[in-house]
Order: sequence, then structure tokens, then C-alpha cells
Amino acid sequence: MTRVHSNADIAVIPVRSWLQSCLAVIGPDLRGSSADATPEPANPGWIATLCLVVAMGLLLIVAGHGAGRRGDAVAPLLFWSGVVLAVVPTSLRIAWPNVARSERLFVLILLAEALLYLKTVYSPTGFAHHDEFLHWASAEDLATGHRLFLSNPLLPIASAYPALEIVTTAIVKLTGLSIFAAASILLAVLKGTLMAALFLFYERITGSARIAALACLTYMGCSTFVVFESGFSYESLGFVLCMLILAVEAASKDLVGREKSAALGLIALLLASLAVTHHLTAAFVAIYLGMLAALEALRRDVSLRLEARIAMGLTAVLAITLPLLWVMASGSSFTGYVGPVIETGFKTLMGKIFGTGIPPSEHLGAPSQPLGMRLTTLLAILLLSLGLATGFFRSLAMTAPPYLHAGWLPIHGILKRRWRDSRVVLLTVLACGFPISIAFRLTVNGWQIGNRMGTFVFIGVGLVVAVGIIHFWQGRASRGWRLIGPCAALAVIVLGGVTAASLEPIRGPYKVASDSQSIEHMGIETARWTKEWLGPGNRFTGDRVNRLLLAGYGRQDVRTKISEGIFAARAFRHDKLGSDELYALARSDLDYLVVDLRLTTAPPVLGFYFEPWESEQGTRLTAAELLKFNDVKGVTRTYDNGYLIIYNVRGLHGAP
Amino acid sequence: MARPDKRDLLGACIWAGATLAAVAVSDSMLLRTILGVPMVLLISGHIVLRAIGVRTTSLSEHLAYSIGASLAVTVAGGFVLNAIGSLTSLGWAFWYLAVATAAMLRPAGNDAVASKPAWLGPLQIRPWQGAAVALAMLVATGAYALAIHDQAAERQFKYTEFWMLPPASSDPGQLVIGVRSAETQAQQYDLDITLDGKPFAVFRSLTIAPGDTWVRKIPVPILTTKQLAEARLYRPADNKLYRRVSALVPGT
Repeated sequence: MTRVHSNADIAVIPVRSWLQSCLAVIGPDLRGSSADATPEPANPGWIATLCLVVAMGLLLIVAGHGAGRRGDAVAPLLFWSGVVLAVVPTSLRIAWPNVARSERLFVLILLAEALLYLKTVYSPTGFAHHDEFLHWASAEDLATGHRLFLSNPLLPIASAYPALEIVTTAIVKLTGLSIFAAASILLAVLKGTLMAALFLFYERITGSARIAALACLTYMGCSTFVVFESGFSYESLGFVLCMLILAVEAASKDLVGREKSAALGLIALLLASLAVTHHLTAAFVAIYLGMLAALEALRRDVSLRLEARIAMGLTAVLAITLPLLWVMASGSSFTGYVGPVIETGFKTLMGKIFGTGIPPSEHLGAPSQPLGMRLTTLLAILLLSLGLATGFFRSLAMTAPPYLHAGWLPIHGILKRRWRDSRVVLLTVLACGFPISIAFRLTVNGWQIGNRMGTFVFIGVGLVVAVGIIHFWQGRASRGWRLIGPCAALAVIVLGGVTAASLEPIRGPYKVASDSQSIEHMGIETARWTKEWLGPGNRFTGDRVNRLLLAGYGRQDVRTKISEGIFAARAFRHDKLGSDELYALARSDLDYLVVDLRLTTAPPVLGFYFEPWESEQGTRLTAAELLKFNDVKGVTRTYDNGYLIIYNVRGLHGAP
Repeated sequence: MARPDKRDLLGACIWAGATLAAVAVSDSMLLRTILGVPMVLLISGHIVLRAIGVRTTSLSEHLAYSIGASLAVTVAGGFVLNAIGSLTSLGWAFWYLAVATAAMLRPAGNDAVASKPAWLGPLQIRPWQGAAVALAMLVATGAYALAIHDQAAERQFKYTEFWMLPPASSDPGQLVIGVRSAETQAQQYDLDITLDGKPFAVFRSLTIAPGDTWVRKIPVPILTTKQLAEARLYRPADNKLYRRVSALVPGT
């Protein structure tokens, strides 16, 4: 018996020591110092140098786009050198210890604006991304029609959320600038404000400018930061309002009396604005504030005054009721818009996990990126995962009561509902959404859910990774690799945000059905021709990219459907126009069809020509399918430039 | 007790008044931008923070909150102006003036807005540092201009646009035919028009330079029935049909 016991002990010892090593890595001990040793002022020498370095980086980025347009092989080298030059020195300075608070904030805003610049010079004189065209059309309608809630067939729900268009047209009307110029100014201001709000929020809940700066830097690694949240789209404005609400709420936690009421007033104003700005962001804020109030109610360390608890409850009630009231008042079908996307995404993910039915579109595969970009994204995900693993329990320990500081006691305390700040607990739990968002991003149908989730999940990821770096990776005496390694890792995370942001960040020649890479001079000129010679407001349909150009540059009334329940793709598929399609066209109120023969030259980059849900994905369009309208009685060929043809279908309804 | 300082609110009122005047009488985009953008994105929010007495502890916090409140004021303005049918330039200018005036006339309360200087602090900027920042701005602006130039110079596709529009109701009996060149050099074209398959008009040796547009109105007889007009553009250089378009001529 004795012999057996000692053998078991010998076997258990390495396992135990391995387990202890693991627990020491992820464990909740707080080793580092989050305080900034260097007081104000900032170092102007560093600021000036970084401004110059970033500007040189931007010049290289522009040169890279220029080379890409000309098809030069040197384009990636120029572009990525510029990105590295803009991102790495600034990231290192932001993450470095002993940097003044104001300098960190300044360099953060400088980096955020540089990344916005990177997105803007892709198309420096006009919008280039899909959603931007949808909101451009709405803004033009508001600017010319002087009325809100005009319908937008390309994005019906947008008419119920007109805040972005209101702010843009206010600038347009007061200044006389074009919508693109006004939008560019607005987006630059929003980007700076987002950084400031994020920084203030993190600083308020952690009490450390350094953790706040690291968290903001980590946030820039989110795949939506560089392009999606920088576009002329309602979520760009919505997310800034969201972060401002969170920042004001966190800042008001210790206020009392009149100051508390004033902060509540500001939060109410921002919540009301958010309710009419963006549905998903408003839903996130409602969930966040609702859960915050619930956590406060659960908390056993009742250090919070009754007044503060009432204020928190009131804020949650406002955050939940205002968007609901707006949905009811505007009659927008939020669930009808979001529901199918979530349902398909979940079905696909579950199908992949359990090997059950997967939608056919999932078998088409995702569009691919160059190897270097994919490796950078993967490395960034790996580094983020390491940061999360080492920061999760430490982040929770940070908010445990001070008397629970030894070993795993802080976590026991949290499990027994003893914590000091519910915001930290909530954000730490929110960070758990990161692996889920990555899982969704690995599927074609769930990609959109993973991408949108990232915007919100990264608020928590930023905090947890920053805490991991300060309290584990750098520790008390950060020097050597402990100093440089985490700073370099953060630079890689930001670079990962750039590589994950878009399929092809470098401007290049025309590609078939690739959204921004399909938008070029000839398509724009054709859309402008329609406005000049046919006049605005004609009812058009066509492929996804030309619809955008016609709505934006052509000011046409663009439709995705021929008639109720029949999407445009059906009319363009097959060599002969079927009797059902002909009947639908004849019964419709469409005036023109636009046909782009370039679509037949290569498979669609995004996998579809007309809609993401089109039934014949994976089947290439042929010239015979697109040119079949030549032989349809009642259809005439109004315009032809050799690539793009516009067919007049009024003859089908008896008009010329 | 000292009276609260309202100089900033007075300044905001004057700024709003100047914006209104610029919108009403000036076509200068620069002047209107200098006045209008800060009004929409900053000043109106500062006014609101003062009006409701929000306390901020740093300049960065005050700027961020002011921008957020400005966005809220502007969104609210959009709904108000929409309700009274005044979503126009003057409507917006009056809205901001009304907000500024209301904040100015509001009874004095606890307007204290703490502004602890926490932006860049007392910076001692040396000449080379100022020059480096100025150079950085110049490089970034120049790079943007280069991006615009590159975009304007990009012409991946060379093409000729050809169109035919049916007679408009305001101008019956007139077909409109047009050709516009986006080729790299001047091209020569022959143009044939048929009406219900019969030759109707011919234009020979049309020479169109890049960027030029050739347009003609072609009178057509109006019959009792619809007629199909077809136009073909040939390129004599390679003796081939280059483009073709068609239109329906409505009957009486």
C-alpha cells in the first residue's frame, strides 16, 4: 500500500506543479503599478517627432494606394511600410511607462486620426464603402427634400434612424459644403471624441491613465475600428454616443445632489439621441446599463448610497424605454431587420460545431487575403488571447474589496457578490464574448454577427488585456523584454486591427463584385450620366455596386426588388427571361435596368453579384444572361458604353 | 456671492448671431465653415453643459462632453425643424441662435464648469518642435492632395458612351442621340439610325476627341402606332459595329 501511494505521489507532483504554474500565470495577483510616475507636462519633443513620423507614414500609405492604382508591384511594400511607421512608434510611446497622461491621450488621438486618414485616402474625393452610399442617399434626400423619414429602398430601416443625416445636413446647410466634405469633418471629430470618451471611461473605472491608454490601444485592434466604425454610417455616430454615455455614467458615480442630476440630464440627452441614431448600439447600451443596475442590486458590499442606486436604476430604465418607445413611434421593424441575420449566423455556427445542416452559401468559402495579412491577424488574435487569459482574473481582482487580496480570495469574494465597481465586473465578463465573436467570424453567414459583436466586446477586451499587461506581463519592475515585449505586442494588435478591417486595404484595379474595389471612374460617370440625361428619381435596379453608384452619384430611386418578394437577381439570371420574371417586370413600376458586362469576366470577390442571400451563389453570370433583354419586346437599349448597358423597361408597362 | 460668469454664453450668442448673418448674406464657404462647424459640433454643446450645470474635471472631458451634447442638440434641432417645416439653412442658423439665447437668458444657477487644465499643460515648445509639427501637417495635407491627383489620373477603362432617348412629352417627335468619348485619343465614328428597320438618318465621319460630347435632336414622324428607333455606332478604323442603342417612339 505504501509503495502504491508513493508512486501516485510521484505521478501527481509534476501535474500539481504544472497546474500551479498555470494558476500563477492566470492567477489574480496584482503585481504591477498602474500609476504614472511622470507628472505633467507632456514631452513636446516626443509629440513633434511622432507627428512627423506619422505624417511620413501617411505619405507612404498614399504612395502605396497610388502604386496600387497603377498596378505597380511595389504597392504593398509602400503601403505596409507606411502603416508600420504610423502605428508602431505611436503605439510604443502610448504603452511606454512614465509618460504624461495628456501626452498619452494626444498620441492616442493622433493614431486614431491617422487610421481614419488611412481609410479616407482609399477614396479621397468620394464615399467608397457599401453602407456609406446608403446613408449618402438618405442625406441627399434630407438635404434636397427638407423632410425627415423619406424612404430609402436600399436600407429601409435607416429612415427611422436619421440622426447621422440630421447632423451632416446641419453642417451642409450652415457651411455650403458638399455632403462628402461635411461627412469627412464629422467623422474626424467623431474619431477624436471616441478616443477621448474611451480613455475617460477606462480612466474613471480603473483610476489609471496608463491602463486607460493601454485599453484604448487594445481597442484599436478591433476589426471594426479602422473601416467599419470610421465610415459614413449610423453606427459610427451611435458608438461615439454610446461611449460618451458610458463615460458620463462612470464619471458621475461619486457625484451627489445637483451635480448628479446634471450628469443624469446629460445622460438622458445622449440616450435620447442614441435611440434615434442606431438600433444595435442603443440595444447594447440598454443591456449594459440594465445589467449594471442588476449587478448593483446583487452586490453585497453596499457602499453605494441609496441616491446613487436610484440614479443607476433610473438610467437603466431610460436606456431601455427610450429605444423601445422610438421603435414603437417610428414603426421600424428592428427584429425583422436583425432577426434573420442572427438566426442564419447561429444556425451556421451550430451546424459547424455539431456537424448538422449548414446553409449552401457556407460551402462557397470566405474571400481570401494575402498570407502576410492573415498571419498578422492571427498573431494579433493570439496575443489578445494571451492578454485575456492573463488579465481576466486580475481584472476581477482589481475590483475585489481591499481586505481580500491574498491568493484566490479576491475571486472567492467576487463569487460571493463582493466587489467595489460593477462596471469592472461587467466589462470583464463582456470580454468573454471575444472567442465567440471570433468563432462567428470564421463562418461566412455568421461573419456579420462576429464583426458587429467585436465593436462592443472589445470594450471589455481592452480593459482585460490592459490589466493583464500591467499586472502580469510588465509587473513591478518593467525593464528589458518585460518592457518592450508588451508594447510591441500592442503594436501588433493595432496592426491586426488594420489587417482584419478589410479584404483589400490597398486601392487596386477594378474587381468584380468587391464593393469598394469595384467602384471606379467609369461606373461613377455612368451614374452621373443618368442624372444628367434621364433626370433624378427614375426607378432603377441592377447589381449591388451599380445600384449604389446610381443612388449616390445618379440620385436615382434604386430598388433591390422588381416587385414584392422578387429580388432583382431573378431577372438577371438565365439565358431567357422566364414568364414569371417577365410578368413581374411588366407589373412592376421599374423604369430602367442596368447591366454590367464586367460581371461576366471573373467570379464575384464577395461571392455574390446582387444580394448576399441570392439563390445562385457560386454560379458565374454569363454575357448571354445579361444581354437577353436585347430580344425582349418592349425593352429598349437606352445607353451603351461597351461595358455598361441601360435598358428601358417602360415599354413593358405600355409607356415609352 | 459672486455672480456667475456668463461671458462664454454671451460669446456663444454672438457666434450664433454671426453664423446666422453669414448664412443669410454670405456665399463664402470658408467663412460659413469657420463659423458653422464649431457651432454644430462644439459650441452648442458647451451651451447645454452650462445650462444644465454639468461638472467636468478636465479640458479633454469638457471637450468630449461638449461634442456629445452638440450632437444631441443638433439631433433635437432636426426633429424640431422638421416639425415646423424649416429644415433649411436659415432654419438651422435660427435654431442655434435660439439655443444660445435661451441658455444666456436662463436664470443663474450652479453654472460652475470646472476647467482644470489637463490637456497638454504648460508646454515649453521649442522652435524645431513647432517646425516639425507644421511640417507634419504640410506632409499630411500634401499626401492628401497626391491621393486626389492619383484618383483623378486613374482611368482603367477607355470607352465611348452612346445613348438614345425617346421623345419627351414636352418635346414630342424629337429623338435625342448622344456620343461622349472617354477614350485616350480622338476617334472617328459613323452613325446609322433606322426607324422600324428602315434607314432613317446617317452621320458619317464624326470625329470626337476625349472628353467631348456630340448630341443631336433628330425629328421623327409620329404615327398612330409605336415605332422602334435603333441607332448603330460604327468605328471605320476597324470596320466594326461598336455600340448600339434603341428607343420607342410613341404613337398618337
